Amino acid sequence: MDQSISLNGRSILIVEDEAIVRFNLADFFEQAGYHVTEAESADEAIVILNRDSSISVVLTDVHMPGSIDGLKLAHYVRDRFPPTVLVVTSGESNPRQADLPTDSVFVPKPFDPQLVLDQIKRMAA
Amino acid sequence: MEGWGWQSVHDPDVLPDVMEGWTGAIASGAPFEMVFPLRGADGVFRPFLTRVVPVRDLEGNLRRWVGNNIDISEQVGIEIELRQSQKKLEEANRTLAEREAFLSSVLGSSTDCIKVLDLDGRLTFMSEGGQKVMEVTDFGTISGSPWPDFWQGQGNIEARAAIEAAKSGSSHSFVGRAETMAGNPRWWDVAVSPIRGSDGKPDGILSVSRDITASRENEEARDQLARIVENSADFIGMARLDGTVFFLNDAACRLVGFDRAAIATVTIADFFPPEEAEIVRDEVLPAVARDNFWSGERLFRHFGTDELIPVIYTVFPVTDHDGKRIGYATVTRDIRNRKRAEAQQQFLNDELSHRLKNVLAVVQSVASQTLRQADDLSSANIALAARLAALGQATDVLTAKAWTSADLRELVDRAFAPYGGVGERIRVAGPSLMLLPQVTLAFALALHELTTNAVKYGALSAPGGHVDLTWSITKGSNGEKPRFHLLWQEVGGPAVQAPIRRGFGSMMIERSLRSYFRGEAQLEFPTSGLVFTLDASLADAGSMVE
Repeated sequence: MDQSISLNGRSILIVEDEAIVRFNLADFFEQAGYHVTEAESADEAIVILNRDSSISVVLTDVHMPGSIDGLKLAHYVRDRFPPTVLVVTSGESNPRQADLPTDSVFVPKPFDPQLVLDQIKRMAA
Repeated sequence: MEGWGWQSVHDPDVLPDVMEGWTGAIASGAPFEMVFPLRGADGVFRPFLTRVVPVRDLEGNLRRWVGNNIDISEQVGIEIELRQSQKKLEEANRTLAEREAFLSSVLGSSTDCIKVLDLDGRLTFMSEGGQKVMEVTDFGTISGSPWPDFWQGQGNIEARAAIEAAKSGSSHSFVGRAETMAGNPRWWDVAVSPIRGSDGKPDGILSVSRDITASRENEEARDQLARIVENSADFIGMARLDGTVFFLNDAACRLVGFDRAAIATVTIADFFPPEEAEIVRDEVLPAVARDNFWSGERLFRHFGTDELIPVIYTVFPVTDHDGKRIGYATVTRDIRNRKRAEAQQQFLNDELSHRLKNVLAVVQSVASQTLRQADDLSSANIALAARLAALGQATDVLTAKAWTSADLRELVDRAFAPYGGVGERIRVAGPSLMLLPQVTLAFALALHELTTNAVKYGALSAPGGHVDLTWSITKGSNGEKPRFHLLWQEVGGPAVQAPIRRGFGSMMIERSLRSYFRGEAQLEFPTSGLVFTLDASLADAGSMVE
């Protein structure tokens, strides 16, 4: 996956199986100054997270092929990497707040990347 | 008899009459005759006939009276007895007449048809009421005719058997059909018995027929209703007030997998899972008691598999003839199919929403990439419109297969349609293949980018150039999985120069297809013409059409 130099020291992992959407988000966050890593499944994301401790933001889709979905991944991230900023997104029905990990935000698809970026900045502050 | 000394033997009550008669006879000289009681030597009065006649001389002068008294007490006794027995006879006759009148009024008012037959089964008598119900206008016309002839079908056989039975001294009953004399069909309940003579042997036959047409028709109507209940596709059941079940139709037994033989062992609650049984006990049955009716959705339990069966459960009271409640009845409809359809509807609705949002996210990305990489707004406008049109076509192909797959050849045909379609300049070959829905939008976009590029700069931009698009499936050897290969080769176009900048098109073609197909996607730019190859596991691309 593309590795780009982070200008502000922040690193985001984008977990999304729809490649066209993923590429566009990667472009957007790179331009916003993030170091972007892409994963097309939750399983791949876990491998990356365990390898790369610099990731401070995880933006994940919910429904993806693989052994676990994005919601389980979000809980995993919250448990294993507590400070990580978590954004969960889906085109399907909105999950209940109780199903989401603490300190995470749900964004329905399609979303405005600029608003999500602002949200991430607030959560990271 | 000269004097009046005889008065002492007379009954003082009668004496004045005797005196008057005797005085009259003396005065007129006519003979005297009278019956009156006289006291005998024993002091008892007895009836005597007394006759006194005048005796005259030759000149006709009265000389004397000669008389005698005859004791007639015995004759008088006989006469009295005679008069009494005559009176008794009259009384007996009157009683007899009254009884006869009573009996004939009973016969006349009975709505049963009472007949007397001789031992050969011929009609000799028919009651008045019987003539009415049989619509007989003149008994004379049927008197003497064989009674069994009035019966049709099985009734005729029964009637003959009844006659034979009566002749041998026993009674016989049957139900049969016979027309009245006016030709109206009726059902009769018939009792035939012998009439015994003084010697105890049958000397006639009594036949009493009751018109049961109305109750028979009720019975038939009831039978028809029972058949409807039996054959209904709905669950129909009845239970007593204590909940014990006493009737289930076939559909009921089938729906819940219940063996009818065990009907005596089950109660209403057994047809529900525990929590539903509680609701039925605490809410449904009290509502039936209060409102005479309850209807709503509930879950039944299958006796064999424990499967929960959604039903419309309708309950109402069962009453006896006096209107007293004796239990509950239910007509319950299996709504599994409706529930499945509703679930499918809900699922499709959710799917539609999901796909729509997903497609919008893709469109958003395509628009965003197009705008970011365009040199100017005008070319971005043109490129975006063409890309959205390509997405629209792919959506059409997907929708034709309920978004489960997309026909590869169909996608290809649509992509080439604006450029004259498949033919001399666009040569296409490959087996029928259905692409997976998740790769279809990206593949359609890639095909669009390749075609646009070929038309603008490649083999289709100059006369004589053409595109070869071929695909194949190779069956993997040594247990490898089958693979999908696709080759786009441009021939006869202008000399190719590798692009300096990789734009949206090449991103779509290489990076995106690599990701969607989980395989290798390669763009090459030999001067002879652009080449694109895609190589992926068939399972990640789609499936062969059988």
